[in-house]
Amino acid sequence: MENYLVAMAVFAGLYGLMALGLNVIWGMTGMINLGLVGFMAVGAYTSALLTVRHAHWPMWAGVIAATIVSGIAGAVVARITARLKGDYLAIVTLGFSEVVRLVASNEIRFTNGTDGISAIPGPFRGEVAPATFNLIYLGIVAAALLVVYLLCQRLRHSPYGRVLRAIRDDDQVTSVAGKPVLRFKTEAFAIGAAITGFAGALYGHYNAYIAPEGFVPLITIYIVLSLTAGGTGTNAGAVVGAALVVAFMEGTRFVVAEIPGLAAVQVAAVREFMIAALLILVLRYRPQGLFPERHARHATPDTTP
Amino acid sequence: MTFLATRRAVTAGLALSPLFAPSVLRAQGEPIRLGTLMPLTGAGGPYGPSMRKAVEGVVESVNSAGGIGGRRIQLYGEDSQTNPDAAVRAARKLIDVDRVSAIMGTWASAVTTAVAPLAWESRTMLFTVSGADSITQLPHRGYIIRTQPNSTLQITKLSEFLGQQGAKRIFILAAQTPFALSNKEILEREMPKYGGQVLGQTIYDREKTVFRSEVDQALRARPDYIFLNGYTPDVTILLRELFRAGWTGGKVAPAYAINQRLLDSLPADVTNGAVTWAPSPDIESPAFKRLQALLGTNDPDPYSCQTNDHAALAALAIAKAGAATGDAIRENVRKIAQGAGERVTEVTEGLRLLAAGREINYAGASGACDFTDNGDILTCPFRYEQAEGAKLKTIRIS
Repeated sequence: MENYLVAMAVFAGLYGLMALGLNVIWGMTGMINLGLVGFMAVGAYTSALLTVRHAHWPMWAGVIAATIVSGIAGAVVARITARLKGDYLAIVTLGFSEVVRLVASNEIRFTNGTDGISAIPGPFRGEVAPATFNLIYLGIVAAALLVVYLLCQRLRHSPYGRVLRAIRDDDQVTSVAGKPVLRFKTEAFAIGAAITGFAGALYGHYNAYIAPEGFVPLITIYIVLSLTAGGTGTNAGAVVGAALVVAFMEGTRFVVAEIPGLAAVQVAAVREFMIAALLILVLRYRPQGLFPERHARHATPDTTP
Repeated sequence: MTFLATRRAVTAGLALSPLFAPSVLRAQGEPIRLGTLMPLTGAGGPYGPSMRKAVEGVVESVNSAGGIGGRRIQLYGEDSQTNPDAAVRAARKLIDVDRVSAIMGTWASAVTTAVAPLAWESRTMLFTVSGADSITQLPHRGYIIRTQPNSTLQITKLSEFLGQQGAKRIFILAAQTPFALSNKEILEREMPKYGGQVLGQTIYDREKTVFRSEVDQALRARPDYIFLNGYTPDVTILLRELFRAGWTGGKVAPAYAINQRLLDSLPADVTNGAVTWAPSPDIESPAFKRLQALLGTNDPDPYSCQTNDHAALAALAIAKAGAATGDAIRENVRKIAQGAGERVTEVTEGLRLLAAGREINYAGASGACDFTDNGDILTCPFRYEQAEGAKLKTIRIS
């Protein structure tokens, strides 16, 4: 049981990292990104290709390269979609993630196609017991999450973060105030994508195996749900929301197992229903998420003569 | 206080209820824990429920016959959601919380490959129906058993059949798929054993609507058999264009490409003589007939036949070992599935013989269940059919 809880904490941490990445892009800057899993795939593949398939770099180098490459991919996507907003941006980014998946499926010589890449190294994997490996990895993910969280907090409370939120609320006003909106948007997208790619690389090294089928929009939905449930715009919300989504997904396994008289397929269906119902309940009673953004309000000056 | 009394009564009732069950149900000792990881939702959703039922059938018959050495089988199950990410979390739960000694019935190849490292690291046996050749090439140290024929076995069987049909010169028209190239290489390796050869292969884009130049390339090589390694839509067009070009030689395609839908959409003149082949359950086996009754269908799908065998193999290996660990299954599964022992097709009969100290050789609904050292099945029945008057006629099953 402990081993399982540790493994789920690792998943929650990795989802939390991706939710922090999405928070920079969507929560702070207001760009809807449904292609998150594409950046995760770019990160996971970059590190896997460099540490096992095409070269044998040390893991830390692979993870750093993954962060940089996915950041560049984010900047490129941001530039291409510079004129798009709202639903249009959402569709194009969703398309981006599908393109990444299809390239990974079809560039067989480069990515090993649908067979995926296995035997991706993990720190001390095979040298220590599986339970110890899990604990080591939890330590790594927790440290990574803490560092990224603090960086995101710094970003959010800096003047830079204020510009991002100004763009989110009204990019024309921001532009009139003399801020280079396109540059800020590109940078925010690149930062968010880099964090997501970083999480993707850690995901690959943890699971030891990645394949195109693993990077389907389902994961994007998990992350969007995490951020929505936690509170769009706040970093604490992103992390707590991810933990909550994993807790819902895993906790329901034990609840449905207690319902007597259900066939296996009904158990699976009831479980999905319960996850959905729990999330709906959270958003019904906390529409702004568990940790909504607090706005510092200044008293409106009295303009009556 | 009424509430408390009621609750106490209910608890007492629950605790006592096994005492009223027939004595055979009260097998003693710590239960044997087995797990299933089937696709109950997602792309594999149509297959999962019946695969699970096939496992439950075996577990029920073992438990109602008194369990294994007096221990009941407790079956745990999770949904793989046909997604590697979800499947890894589900497998963690089966391994770490339910402490199962075997996971049965992983379907999608990506799911199996993602779950495999967890299985071998935690010394849990993994029984799978996935077909990708790469799975048994993983460094699994014997913890994977696969009942689905891999593509090497499928093409080897095709070569054997073509050889017996007297095919000497074969040309391949293949859709662009992950297995197009490897299939050609296997056919090139196998055909010389029967005095034949592969003249060449043209790979085409499945989305095209005209294949005139591909057909011309095939005919220019002067083959006597053309292997259409594609899917229904493109094979439909290819058959029509071969007919227009006056082709009268042999044509062969996988059974999932030339199906009844294709035969209904083309004139019989175009499809007559086309041959299909596919792995088949062992339909003559008593195990298959029992599975028909259990699932309430005349035509159980191959995956359910295989998971039925997964459960039987796990139960028999545990009985042979006298221990219910993944290692015990790994070390004993081949001792009860192959060799000189008495042929057994039913799990409780096998348990009885093992208890009497006899050797057994299990063969189930999916076939002989004999495995190579790396976990692939040695062979399984294949069904060969030929189109005649817009219907498929079985030539043979072997």
